[in-house]
Amino acid sequence: MERANQIEKTIRIFKPRSSYGWTWLIAIALLSLITLAPTIQSAEKIQPPVLLLTAGLAGAVFIGGFALAFWFPTMRYELDEQTLTLRYGPVLNYRIPLSQIRNIRRRDLSLTIWSSIRFPGIALFTVPYSDVGNVKMCATAAMKGILLVETDKAKFGITPADEEGLVTAIQARIVE
Amino acid sequence: MPGIYIMAVITMLASAVFWGGMVHLFSGRTGRYLWLIMLGLPLSVVVNLGLKPALALWAGQITNVPPGQGFSKLPWWFLFFLVMLTPVLEELIKVTPLLLPRARRRIQDRAAAFWVGIMLGVSFGLGEAAFVAYAAAQIPDYASLPWYVLTGYAGERFMMCLWHGIMTCVFVMGLQRRGGWRVVGYLAAISLHALGNAAPVLAGLGFIPAWVTSLWITGIFILAAFLFERLRRQVGRESGITQSAGEIVYFARADVPKQP
Repeated sequence: MERANQIEKTIRIFKPRSSYGWTWLIAIALLSLITLAPTIQSAEKIQPPVLLLTAGLAGAVFIGGFALAFWFPTMRYELDEQTLTLRYGPVLNYRIPLSQIRNIRRRDLSLTIWSSIRFPGIALFTVPYSDVGNVKMCATAAMKGILLVETDKAKFGITPADEEGLVTAIQARIVE
Repeated sequence: MPGIYIMAVITMLASAVFWGGMVHLFSGRTGRYLWLIMLGLPLSVVVNLGLKPALALWAGQITNVPPGQGFSKLPWWFLFFLVMLTPVLEELIKVTPLLLPRARRRIQDRAAAFWVGIMLGVSFGLGEAAFVAYAAAQIPDYASLPWYVLTGYAGERFMMCLWHGIMTCVFVMGLQRRGGWRVVGYLAAISLHALGNAAPVLAGLGFIPAWVTSLWITGIFILAAFLFERLRRQVGRESGITQSAGEIVYFARADVPKQP
């Protein structure tokens, strides 16, 4: 119990910058619903494999969009003595050992045309950028003012509201 | 009013906003290429209702091939001529807005040629979406469908806008390099166009089933995205667009042991 309290004390939670990224997720979910409606309406005329594929894809986007929008308020960055953990609901949990961090910089990123979960105000999972390559994102922005945390293995993109506070806390733990 | 017209308006608006927005974002938010999206809009109608039928008729007259025959009855060389007429004419007409001095002045370097080409191609694609809707509305089976079931048309036209953009930018980049590159660019654009049209033409001739066309168009769209990224990276490196100007390095260290 005492140890649990001690660990709890050492974990600092940082919230992301506010954004309306969740509205995009709902919009995408509704758009998939619009494409799902005519498919179901003309189901008798469509071959079963095609129907299953179309309805399955649209249904997955619909459920996925709403689920991600629902978990939007759970986005946070947890910093303990050893690790920076990026969380988004139960679907995203990136652990970055502090000892492996090579650099932290704030910059704007340049998107590519390739599809990924990134809209104005939200970027999740692996997003390809034309200037820095693939970045594991857990952020409330897709391009502007991204805090890039680079390790040997990967790059992570975050957007903490208290950016300097998070960087200072990470530096203090690395120095210790 | 046929439902496809409603879907055409939605498709054109969505495509213009999406592809225009992409060009705006990727080209450094200058907004200097956006107006070009207006120039190619009427060109699909001009080429499809004016130039192509007139040239096909004229070629038929001088080679004694009577009009109105089915594809299966045409001699192979005339069929080839008809198939190639579309890429040859469309790729040429798509760059005609560059006859305007104001549009031509935009092409100062390779990067500008890339973005001008993309915008002119997208513009042509938007006009083509309107033309295809008009053509489909003349077929009673299509004209009677409600607009909301025509998502296949919307998806295809949305993808084709980028494909037209890629083909045109290849030609415009050739024009910008001048000399023999102008011919190389034109031939490359024609080849890409012919590649994109291959499945619909083969399906029209009955050589492959119609469903292959949908797969083919999706494949062409992926190829277009690949070419777009490759060319954009190339011209971005040359112009420095992709570099982040206001980067702040908070923390950096060189003593991190390399991971196995």
